[in-house]
Amino acid sequence: MDTQLLISGVIFGLSIGSIYFLLAIGLSLCFGLMRIISLDQLLYYSIGAYITYTLHVATGNTWVGVLGGMAAAGIVSFAVERFVFVRIYERDITFTMIASFGILFAGVGAIKYVWGLVPRPVPVPIEAQVNILGTGLPVYRLVVIGISLLVYAGIWLFLNRTITGKAIRAGIEDVEHVEGLGVNVYKLFTITFVIAGTLSGLAGGLHSSLIMVDPQMGLEVLAFVFMVVIIGGLGSIKGTLASAFIVGQVISLGSILYAPLAQMAPFAIMLLILLIKPTGLYGSKLLKR
Amino acid sequence: MMKILRWWWGILLAFFLLGVARVFLPLPFVNEVILFSIYTMGCNFLLGRVGFISFGQPAYLAVGAYGTAFYLYYFGHNPYVGILMGILVGMVVSLIVGAFFVRLRSDYFALVNLALSVIVFYLMEKVLAKITHGDNGLWFLTSMSSTPVLDLGKPSDFFIFIFLVAMALWAFYKYLDDSVYGACCLATKINEDKLRFLGYSNFQIRWMAFIIANTTTALAGTLYAVYLGFVSPAITHPSRVADPVVVTILGGVGTLYGPMVGAIAYTGMKDLLSAFIANWELFIGLVLVFIMLAGERGIWGTLEPLLKKALFRKSSLPI
Repeated sequence: MDTQLLISGVIFGLSIGSIYFLLAIGLSLCFGLMRIISLDQLLYYSIGAYITYTLHVATGNTWVGVLGGMAAAGIVSFAVERFVFVRIYERDITFTMIASFGILFAGVGAIKYVWGLVPRPVPVPIEAQVNILGTGLPVYRLVVIGISLLVYAGIWLFLNRTITGKAIRAGIEDVEHVEGLGVNVYKLFTITFVIAGTLSGLAGGLHSSLIMVDPQMGLEVLAFVFMVVIIGGLGSIKGTLASAFIVGQVISLGSILYAPLAQMAPFAIMLLILLIKPTGLYGSKLLKR
Repeated sequence: MMKILRWWWGILLAFFLLGVARVFLPLPFVNEVILFSIYTMGCNFLLGRVGFISFGQPAYLAVGAYGTAFYLYYFGHNPYVGILMGILVGMVVSLIVGAFFVRLRSDYFALVNLALSVIVFYLMEKVLAKITHGDNGLWFLTSMSSTPVLDLGKPSDFFIFIFLVAMALWAFYKYLDDSVYGACCLATKINEDKLRFLGYSNFQIRWMAFIIANTTTALAGTLYAVYLGFVSPAITHPSRVADPVVVTILGGVGTLYGPMVGAIAYTGMKDLLSAFIANWELFIGLVLVFIMLAGERGIWGTLEPLLKKALFRKSSLPI
């Protein structure tokens, strides 16, 4: 294989992986702390992308759109958490899965109502290219990778250096114990959910200029994001980062080797990993609740 | 005699109403409802009786449909044999796949099924494109030979056929609910440790349930294939993975007639609402959330106790 193709393939894979990481980290945190499978993260992803589109049309600047998309996704996720999830935290995990799917479905309908069915284009904010080892690489993809690494560092600092983050980490280990120590866990739940929603919005905003924005976009990445979470292990941040980049590379390099396999290979890998190690790469022991 | 009648009367009544619906409603709608309720029955059984939620039912639907399609396109012309082939392929696939899947916990189970559905989709669309003709699909409507008694090529005869099939299927599931095996299934959902203590194998019960449910789904797939006369990868498209789950919840999880009521409600809403507003998803999603918050009983799950109360309060007929 020729080097230029390989390098651009790796960078492409890393940028796809970054988007998946931003989406999957929210799901992973939600599962770890609240024991919910929150399919509606994909809705905040779509909202982030659509607000980016709208603000881009209004202001002409995509970065303003991305920030606006993050804010909008955060607000919507806060509202959903307050109105729906507060009532169902105690329920079975399949229950939350179905309820959150209902929210996702309703949200897709609402998006179709507001923005219509036509896919919308968002231009890439940075069109420059850099030369690395004789290969022209779009700067925007490198920026996306950088942002996701920054987010990883930020999340790591938040979870390890602030008292709220420490409480969240303790909650992932044992919620009842944390509650017993006098921490208001429902406040933690809200904080985690809004962080997850905001990061999903960021993912949508960043992804919007790499693909077309259309109402079904959330459902399209749904399977991939879940695969990332499962391979990494539900509830593990480090595992999510690793598996997001693995999946990105498998998709990107797989498509260079043999195009039809590109979409399928990650799922085959996930099946294999689940059958060998049902908790995923970095998943801790199965926590009961 | 009375005993047999009492066991059957619910099914007979339901299918009598369906037959009446055939007279008043357009035929394609009724066919669609019956096919959809057969499709949902497997999901309903898995979710309501065994406690497994599956976001990958389209995979098994596609397996059945392609089993039939391959037979009718490449080998033979008799639709009945095609249907049998589809069921057989579906049974074999769920036998193999089930042995691996039912060991997982229910949330992982859902996601692994989702993955399988996506794999089947790309397998049919891209990898096996030479045999399946990719997105164009396999067309075999004209190559189906007409059969003497019930000609499956004609929608009106096809209605009679699926009507009978569905009736047999409902009787089978009712029988299953009453049997010891049905009780075991419920027990593995509620308390698997206790069931193991009683000497049953959880794995075998779940495996059996998985095979039964997904053979039913494959049956629905074969019927879809024969009804439409063509099969394309679109039936297992990743955006349709949740249809059976939505219908199951809508109708009422674990109830016998839930899938039927759910299918009527879902298809009806889709047809009616899409005439007025383009985004029927919004409405169905809100209904889904509402049902979940209101106690997850669904339409039939709410109606059934009320109906029973109203019907049997005065008469002496025991339930």
